[in-house]
Amino acid sequence: MPNQNGKVYGLTILSPIIDDETAIPSHDLQIRNYLAKLPTDERSPFALAPATHLTRLVVMDDVIYVGMPACEEHLKSKYLIWESNCDGNLNTYLTGLAASIPEHLDAIWSHCVGYPGASNLQAFIDYMKACQLETTFFFAAVNDKSVTETLRALQTQRAVSDFIANHQGMDPARLQSDFNQFLTELNAKPTPRAGILTPYRDIKTGGRNE
Amino acid sequence: MSNLNETDIQGFVLRGYNMPFARYLFLHFEDAARAATFVHRLMGEVTTGQRWDSGKPQSTVNIAFTHRGLVALNLPDATLLSFPVEFQQGMKKRAEILGDTGRNAPDQWDELWREDNVHAWLGVNASSPEALNARCADMLTIMRETNGAILLAAQDAAALVFDGIPTTKEHFGYTDGFGNPDYLGVERSVQPGQGKLMPNGTWAPLATGELLLGYADEAGELPVAPVPHILASNGTFMVYRKLHQNLATFRTYLDEHAPFYSGGKEKLASKFIGRWRDGTPIELSPDHPDQSITQDPNRSTNFTFSADPVGTRCPVGAHVRRVNPRDAFGFDGKLINRRRITRRGLPYGTPVPEGEPASDTDERGVIFIALNANLSRQFEFVQQQWINYGNDSRLGNEKDMLLGNHTGQGRFVVQGDTAGTNPPFVCSNLPNFVELRGGDYFFLPSITALGMIGMGLVDPR
Repeated sequence: MPNQNGKVYGLTILSPIIDDETAIPSHDLQIRNYLAKLPTDERSPFALAPATHLTRLVVMDDVIYVGMPACEEHLKSKYLIWESNCDGNLNTYLTGLAASIPEHLDAIWSHCVGYPGASNLQAFIDYMKACQLETTFFFAAVNDKSVTETLRALQTQRAVSDFIANHQGMDPARLQSDFNQFLTELNAKPTPRAGILTPYRDIKTGGRNE
Repeated sequence: MSNLNETDIQGFVLRGYNMPFARYLFLHFEDAARAATFVHRLMGEVTTGQRWDSGKPQSTVNIAFTHRGLVALNLPDATLLSFPVEFQQGMKKRAEILGDTGRNAPDQWDELWREDNVHAWLGVNASSPEALNARCADMLTIMRETNGAILLAAQDAAALVFDGIPTTKEHFGYTDGFGNPDYLGVERSVQPGQGKLMPNGTWAPLATGELLLGYADEAGELPVAPVPHILASNGTFMVYRKLHQNLATFRTYLDEHAPFYSGGKEKLASKFIGRWRDGTPIELSPDHPDQSITQDPNRSTNFTFSADPVGTRCPVGAHVRRVNPRDAFGFDGKLINRRRITRRGLPYGTPVPEGEPASDTDERGVIFIALNANLSRQFEFVQQQWINYGNDSRLGNEKDMLLGNHTGQGRFVVQGDTAGTNPPFVCSNLPNFVELRGGDYFFLPSITALGMIGMGLVDPR
């Protein structure tokens, strides 16, 4: 099952964007505009909804032939590409999205041909599956752990590393009592919400440097 | 390939002059024609890469221009617009990309660099203060006689003298200046560990185009360069950064943390950099400094990290391992051959011997000068990804211990083993040991290109 790698599912969806020359701005631009303004931190729709490890939405206008001699060729349509590393099963994942962020899904996909809306769950799932391509090979963002397990592991890693940094050279008896207390507190902590563990980086990335 | 035309390349590009004194003059051009006359007059002064068969000179002169300087020289628009974007923007506008934010942000820089007035860098190196003063006086005479350039500021730099002896140490006490890459065609005694690692474990010079414009680089391509080709060829790009060192902060941090590290203070200091303070690579000699290694060019830079994957000898985040990971990322080291830079420059300010009171506020630091064919791919990548980020080294958001822009949040992990003298250790709440006080990107042209600029012959058609 090439879409599935252990517990993780590699989802690829290509949705044709509505071609309507009377629409101003065009539907692809409306999608671009909406996507560009989405938050990427814990307020991201994919952080609010369950089960996404990593996701990307891209508007593909056309393909460009790079080579010599140049030749002109075109796609039949503009496409919205949606790629997601998620906890699979696909039905559960799509159901979770439709339940938690229907307004975002509708705002994005209403510009795509044949989109039925997220309120009709079965139609929504059928639509997404009709647009699905087999992923075959994908970047495994995680080592076969669910989103919840990963968030929990990051929380533990950070807490343990802080604990070590703050307890170097400490008297063993005190260390043990502190550790026991630390363990109790850590176990009692709720699993952090998706997106909040990423520290703020005041560096501009992307482009040719990376 | 045959040797390069050394008489057409500025000497500063091909060799570190190994002179203990330097003064960097920063110039402003008011009038394009007079500035060109100044450049023309200067041609006879500029030190080329020609061999010093008749003995080393007492002083050297080199020149480089900011993009604003080339605009002030009235180069054709078609040429000015053909320079790479990062050079056109200058270092200040690249601050967010470089992580020059917070205490390193341009609004914290020296006044010279907060303004956008620097048009040229005139680098004078000398073997004595007298020779330095004499040569700088000559430069001022040329500036005055041609009325072609205004001196905005001068930055002195010099080898630090400890116990009466000039050293290659910087203010934190580390011996510096070991590792510059070898390049194809550059006549220089080749040293193992300084070029690129070959699959059979030997070292070979990097492609010339990693240093000089107009030659094939490691990808077999010509580096992005301005038109006309002859303006770019045999030139390079120079990064100038004034890096202030908070000496009191460094010494206090080391003194406060060393008692908790059972390897001892000097070993902890060595873990920060990856070399003992005398320069011995800890990858080769993890337990003690060894002068027989530092004095032997066949050994002092001849090491790799693949046998130390978790960093028990040299920490994964140690400075030398971050900025030149050698084979640490696998693939026989091929991933780093397009990320190498050549370093020049000297410390500035008065050294303070260990044990004497030091302050953070004294003017003291390193004038960091780097040369590379592609600012974005080489210097900027190293600064962004390897100094101010840790992902390539699997260190998450950790930054370089000494150079990172930590803002008090940073963490540096010393990996260790079960030996009592090599324990794992975590340095946290890192302050900024080093702060940026200004600088810019410069184009360091060939002698031919200087002539074209000086005679108004730059023609992109």
